Amino acid sequence: MSDVAGVGSELRLTRVAHVDAAKPLRHALAAFMEALEIGRELREDIIIAVGEALANAVEHAYDPEHPGSVELYARTSGHDTLLVDVYDRGRFVRRDEATPGRGLGLRIVRAIARTVSIDVNGGTHVRMEFSADRDGGGDQSLAM
Amino acid sequence: MSEQSSYRVISLRGELDISRKAEIGAALQIAGPGPAVLVDLSDVQYADSTIIAEMLRFREDARRCGRRLAVLIGDPRFRRVLQYAGLESAFALFEDRGAALTYLSAAETT
Repeated sequence: MSDVAGVGSELRLTRVAHVDAAKPLRHALAAFMEALEIGRELREDIIIAVGEALANAVEHAYDPEHPGSVELYARTSGHDTLLVDVYDRGRFVRRDEATPGRGLGLRIVRAIARTVSIDVNGGTHVRMEFSADRDGGGDQSLAM
Repeated sequence: MSEQSSYRVISLRGELDISRKAEIGAALQIAGPGPAVLVDLSDVQYADSTIIAEMLRFREDARRCGRRLAVLIGDPRFRRVLQYAGLESAFALFEDRGAALTYLSAAETT
């Protein structure tokens, strides 16, 4: 079950939060950013960061026997900012906490995003703000 | 995966994410003392912290077994992910296969 909508400079996607959902969501976001002519390296880095948030949602938000949904919402703000939200409605268990000694996913997100906020009220909402100059990057190949 | 006379090669391809965690974990296994190991990621287009965590675990396993480890990369994204994670120097990274094998063969003579 899925719901897809991409209108203008917004992208909204909802998928069942299964581990196989992360890849098509990353690809959809990559295509959306390419259409916005965001430079290749920026696209790649944003995908890396959002991929970590998606992976966390599909792995730890829900009981595997009762998976819920994961939502991806991306839109532009001005000429040089991309806002990306990843939502789930499950419990909040960061991979960093579920696997002692790691701490990698959130570290990667924080290194790439301009700002990151995590709201755990009624699920998990990760909001990431990225610098994203829409200069086309001189390379129109799909990053992911 | 293949065994050469003086080194072992473990090849992973494609997009390495959470959906392939079990596969990656199974591939990155080391049983005990033996030849040096080349992890070939030259055909990897995406890697998240799932594989970095598995690689860190594998690095420790290799170290315990006294086996040198080299990582062959073909895409600059993997190096950048390591940088973002603060792990740029965690692995011996090579973009050239010959250089990686030279590094591994040098281990045999030291």
